[in-house]
Amino acid sequence: MIDDGIIAAIASGYVESAIGIIRVSGKNSIELLKKIFYPKKNTFEPYKIYHGFLKDSNQKIVDEVLVSVFKSPHSYTGEDSFEINCHGGLLIMQNVLDLVLKNGARLALPGEFTKRAFLNDKIDLLQANAIVNLIKAKTQKALDIAFGQLLKKNTTIIEELREKIIFLMAENEVLIDHPDEDLSDVDLNKRLLILNEITKLIQKLLKFSEKGKYFFEGVNVAIIGKPNVGKSSLLNELTGHNRAIVTDIPGTTTDIVSETLNLNGIPIKILDTAGIRKHSNKIEYLGIKKSHEAIDEADIIIAVFDSSRILDKNDEDILNIIKNKKNVLIVLNKSDLKRKLLLPLNIDPIEISCTKKTGINTLKSRLYNMLIEDYNESEVVSLNTSQIIALKSALKHAKKIKKAYIDSLDPALISIDLQQLADYIEQIIGKIENEDILDNVFKNFCVGK
Amino acid sequence: MYIYPKKYDCIVIGGGHAGCEAALICARLKLNTLLITISVDTIGAMSCNPAIGGLAKGHLVKEVDIFGGEMARNIDETGLQFKILNKSKGPAVWSSRAQADMPAYRLRMKHTLEHQDYLDVKQANVEEIVIEDGKIKGVITHIGNEFLCDALIIATGTFLKGKIFIGLNEFHAGRAWEPPADKLSESLAKAGLVIGRLKTGTTPRLDGRTIDFDALEPQMGDDEPIPFSFKTKNFNPPNYPCYLTYTNTKTHEVIRENLDKSPLYSGMIHGIGTRYCPSIEDKVVKFPDRERHQIFLEPQDANSNEIYADGLNTSLDYEVQVKYLRTIKGLEKVEIIRPGYAIEYDFVNPIQLKHTLETKKIRGLFLAGQINGTSGYEEAAAQGMVAGINAAMYLLEKPPFILARDEAYTGVMIDDLVTKGVKEPYRIFTSRAEYRLLLREDNTHLRLAEKSYEYGLIDKVHYEEIQEHIKKVNEAINILKTTYAMPSIDFNKRLESINTKPIKTKVSLSKILARPEINYSLLQTIVPDLPLLNKIQMQQTEIEIKYEGYINLQKQQIEKFKKLESIVIPEDFDYDKVAGLSAEIRTRLKEIMPKTLGQAMRIPGMTPVAIQIISIFIHKKHVQSKPA
Ligand SMILES: Cc1cc2nc3c(=O)[nH]c(=O)nc-3n(C[C@H](O)[C@H](O)[C@H](O)COP(=O)(O)OP(=O)(O)OC[C@H]3O[C@@H](n4cnc5c(N)ncnc54)[C@H](O)[C@@H]3O)c2cc1C
Ligand SMILES: Nc1nc2c(ncn2[C@@H]2O[C@H](COP(=O)(O)OP(=O)(O)OP(=O)(O)O)[C@@H](O)[C@H]2O)c(=O)[nH]1
Ligand SMILES: [Mg+2]
Repeated sequence: MIDDGIIAAIASGYVESAIGIIRVSGKNSIELLKKIFYPKKNTFEPYKIYHGFLKDSNQKIVDEVLVSVFKSPHSYTGEDSFEINCHGGLLIMQNVLDLVLKNGARLALPGEFTKRAFLNDKIDLLQANAIVNLIKAKTQKALDIAFGQLLKKNTTIIEELREKIIFLMAENEVLIDHPDEDLSDVDLNKRLLILNEITKLIQKLLKFSEKGKYFFEGVNVAIIGKPNVGKSSLLNELTGHNRAIVTDIPGTTTDIVSETLNLNGIPIKILDTAGIRKHSNKIEYLGIKKSHEAIDEADIIIAVFDSSRILDKNDEDILNIIKNKKNVLIVLNKSDLKRKLLLPLNIDPIEISCTKKTGINTLKSRLYNMLIEDYNESEVVSLNTSQIIALKSALKHAKKIKKAYIDSLDPALISIDLQQLADYIEQIIGKIENEDILDNVFKNFCVGK
Repeated sequence: MYIYPKKYDCIVIGGGHAGCEAALICARLKLNTLLITISVDTIGAMSCNPAIGGLAKGHLVKEVDIFGGEMARNIDETGLQFKILNKSKGPAVWSSRAQADMPAYRLRMKHTLEHQDYLDVKQANVEEIVIEDGKIKGVITHIGNEFLCDALIIATGTFLKGKIFIGLNEFHAGRAWEPPADKLSESLAKAGLVIGRLKTGTTPRLDGRTIDFDALEPQMGDDEPIPFSFKTKNFNPPNYPCYLTYTNTKTHEVIRENLDKSPLYSGMIHGIGTRYCPSIEDKVVKFPDRERHQIFLEPQDANSNEIYADGLNTSLDYEVQVKYLRTIKGLEKVEIIRPGYAIEYDFVNPIQLKHTLETKKIRGLFLAGQINGTSGYEEAAAQGMVAGINAAMYLLEKPPFILARDEAYTGVMIDDLVTKGVKEPYRIFTSRAEYRLLLREDNTHLRLAEKSYEYGLIDKVHYEEIQEHIKKVNEAINILKTTYAMPSIDFNKRLESINTKPIKTKVSLSKILARPEINYSLLQTIVPDLPLLNKIQMQQTEIEIKYEGYINLQKQQIEKFKKLESIVIPEDFDYDKVAGLSAEIRTRLKEIMPKTLGQAMRIPGMTPVAIQIISIFIHKKHVQSKPA
C-alpha cells in the first residue's frame, strides 16, 4: 500500500452551499481527527455519524459539524478516512480545511483520492481509462479554478515575473560559465533592481489575491462606536433581520453578533460589536476586548456616532482608533433628532436614521464603492492556500537573495538560492528548465566563442 | 572482397578525441581492439581551438581521467599554459584550462595508442557497417576490405558528408583539408538511424611574425599550475602567454558591409549552428550596440609561429577576413596562414541511443563524440570513455556502466543527449548540472574512485592512494566538528592574533573555520595539533565546512532525485495501453523509452499529469505482478 501522507480536500467544491464536505484520507487520519474533533464520545466506530465541534489548538470553536468515519479497507480510498460535514460558507470551509492541514494533512493533488482508490484495488483496472480522464479533467478544473482569473487576465504579471527570474538566473550563470568573457553587459546594480521588481510583482499578486478574496470568500465589516449610538439598530437595518437586541440601555451588546448580507453579489459578514467605553465590569471588559479584535480583523469599519449628543470623551476615543485607518466609513445616526454633534471638519460623515430608515441606501452604496474602489477586474486573482504560502515563502527568500547579492556571495551559492526562489513559485509561473536559462544567456549576453 | 583474418572484439572508427579514449579503454580492459581512422597522421588532432578544459569541460577531462582515459595525462604532458578559471569565485565552479601544443598533443596520443597492448591501429576510410540479425558484425573500408568485430564504436566527428564553406566557396571535406566520409552516413541511414545536419565554424590562424604583440596585453597562466590528472606528479609545465585584443566599430562595419558574402547569411548553409559558439558575424548582427568584442590570441604550437584567434570564428569570404582582421589593434599588418571556415556535417540524433551510448536499433553498435550532435573535445572524450567501457561490458556480458546526473558531468551530458535529443550542437555547461556544489572538479577522483575500481578501470595502488586522501579529509572534518574551544582569555588572544573576532561561548572549531576570513592553515597556526593536510585536502575540508548548509541542501535534493530515479519503468511498458496521454507525449515516450520516472520527467514537453498517469500505471503493474 502506498503511504504518502494524509491528504485533504474540499469535496463539495469551492462554492457557497448549504453544507460543505471536507474529505480526509490516509494512514493515521483518525488520529488527526481526534486532535481536532470534540464529540460527546471519543471512540470512533466506522459507518457512524458523529456530532460535535471542531476546535483549534486554543480550544476555539471552528464549527459545529457532523463527521463520518471509514476504516481501511472499507472506504473509498481503501485507507482510514473521514468526512466532515460543516457549514457551507466559503470562509468556514476554508477554515475547516486549514485546521485539518495545520494538524498534519496536506492538500490533495487533483484526482489523488481516486488514484489511491485505484492503487488500493478499490477500483477495477477496467475503470482505469475513466479514472485517468477524471484526473485529467480534475486537474484542468483545478487549474481553471486556481489560475482562472489569473491566467486569463494577469498573464502579463506572470510572464514578467517568470522572465525576470529567468533573467537573474541567466545572469548568474553567465558569471559562472563565462568568466573570461567581456562581461560589459552584466550590470551588478541592475540585478538588485530586478530583484526588487520581482518582490513587487509577488506583492502585487498577493494583493490582488486579497482583493480576489472579497469575491471568493467574502468581506468582514465591523460596526463600532461608543454604547447606545445605534450599532445594533444599524445591523438590523442593513440586513433586514432583527438579529441584534436593541434597548436604550448603554452596554446592551456584550458579545459579537454577526449576520450576512449579499451586497450586489459580494458576500459580506457584518459584525455588531459591544460599545467601546471605559468599562465598568468584567463582562463589559471582555466584550470591549472582542470589539478591538473585530476592528483589527475587519476589512472595513463602520464607525457610528450619535448626532443628537455633543462629542464626549468616548467619541474621541473612537476617533482615535480610526484615525490612521483608510477602510472606515463614518456614520452619524439618529439624524431624526436635533443635531448637537460637531465632528472635526475633515470628516465627511453619512447621516442616517435607523428609526426613520433614512440614509441606509446611501450607506450601502458608499460601502459598495469602497469595496470596489480600486478594484479593476484585471487585478483580481484567485490563489489557493498553497499558492499563497508559496508566494509568501518566495518573498522571504527574495530577501535572502538580496543579502547574498549585497554581500557578493559566491554565484555558485546564489544559484542555489535563485533555484529555490523559482521552485517556490513554480506552480504559478511554470517550471523553469535549463534550456530557458541558456536561451536567456545567449539572447541577452554576448558570450561564447 | 578481402576479409581480414583477425577477428576483433571491438572496432573503433575515428582517431579523434572520442575514438582515442574508446579504443584505449577497450584495449586496457584487455579486449582485442582495432582503431581505424582516415589518416593516422591526424590521430588526436584538435580541429579548432588549441585548449583543453574550461568551465564544465575541465570536469569532463577529470572524469575521463579517473575512469582510465588519456586526455588528462596527454594535456599535462603537452600543455603550454595552465590556469584555473573562476578563481575569484567559490571552489565549486573553479575549472582547469590549458593551452595545448596541438602537434605535441596529437603525437603523444598517437604514441600512446601505438604502445597500447591489445590495440591495432589502421589507416582506412570506413564506408559501410555490416549488420547481421540486428547485431553488428563488421565494417567495410573504401578499398573493399572487411574487418570483423562483435562491437563497433563510431566516432567520426564532423566527417560524415562534411562540407566546408569559406565565403561563397564550398567543398567537400571532413575537417580543413582532410577527406570527408561520404558513404558511411548512407550506410547508417540504411541501418535505420535517423540522420540530421549541423554546422560549426573555426577561426583564422595567423602568422605570429606579423602581429604586434608589444601593443597587446599579455595573459599568463597560473604561477603554481595544477595538473588535470590525479596521476601527474612533479608537474612543471611551460607558461606561454596569450594576448588580449578587441574588435572595434570599424571591424564591425567591414563585416556588416560584407554579409552578402557570408554563406550563413546568404542561405547556403542548412545545418543548424550553435548559439554557444557564435561566429563573429553572428555577434555583430545580434548585438549591434556592442562596440567591441574580445579576442584572445593563443599559441597553438611551440615550434611554429601560427597563432589561433579565439573569438573570431567565421565563414566570411577570404578577402573580407583579411580586411576585418587588419582593423584590429595589433593585427594591422597581419598575414593569414589558414582562413576561418564553417563546416556542415551529418549527425545521428542521440535520442536513438541508450544511456550506454549503444544504439537502440542495432545491438553492439555504439556512437560517441560529435556524431551524437555534441561539440567539443572534452564532450567527445567523455563519450568515448563511456562508449568504450560499455562496449567492453557488453562483450564481457557484465552490467552496463551508467553515470547518473548526481554522480558526474558525463552523466548529466549523456542523460541530456538521450532524453532531450539535439537540435543544435550540444555543449556542456556547469548550469546543466543540478548538483554543482557536490560535483566539483577538485573532488572528481574522490567521488568516482569507488566506481572506477569496481569496473577495473584504476589500479589498486592509485585506488588506495585516493582512499587514504578521503580518509584524511574526513578525519579533519570530524576533528573540527567535535573539538570545542572555550572562550578563555588565552584562546581569544589567539583568535585576535589571526584577526578574527573573539568568542563568547563554547564554540566548535568548525564554526571558526566557517568564518569567511579564516582558512585551514590560518586556524592551524593557533591550533597546532590539527591534522597535517596537503593543499587540496585543506581546500576540500574548507569547502565541506564553509558550505555545509548549501551542501546539505543539495544532498536533500539528491535524495528527492533518487526517489524518482528509483522508480523504474519496465522495459516492456506499453504506452499504447496507457489511457489519457496526448498523442504527442505518447510518441515522445515511445521514442525515448525512458528508463525511470525521473528520466520521463525530464523529457521536453512532459506534463505533471502525464507523469502522474504513468506513475499510476507503473505502480499498478508492480502491485499486480506481486503475489497477493
Ligand atoms: C571547423 C570546426 C570548428 C569547431 N569549433 C569548435 C568550437 O568552437 N568549440 C568546440 O568546443 N568544438 C569545436 N569543434 C568541435 C571539436 O573539434 C569536436 O567536437 C571534437 O573534435 C569531436 O571529437 P570527435 O572525436 O567526435 O571527432 P573528431 O575529432 O572530428 O575526429 C573524427 C575522427 O574520425 C575519423 N573518421 C571520420 N570518418 C571516418 C571514417 N569513415 N573512417 C575512418 N575514420 C573516420 C577522422 O579522420 C577523425 O580522426 C569544431 C570542429 C571543427 C571541425
Ligand atoms: N431617535 C433615534 N433613536 C435611535 C436611532 N437608532 C437607534 N436609536 C435608539 O438608540 C438606542 C440604542 O440603540 P442600540 O441599537 O441598542 O445601540 P447600540 O449602539 O447597539 O448600543 P450598545 O449595544 O449598548 O452599545 C435604542 O433605544 C434605539 O431605539 C435613530 O436613528 N433615531
Ligand atoms: Mg448594541
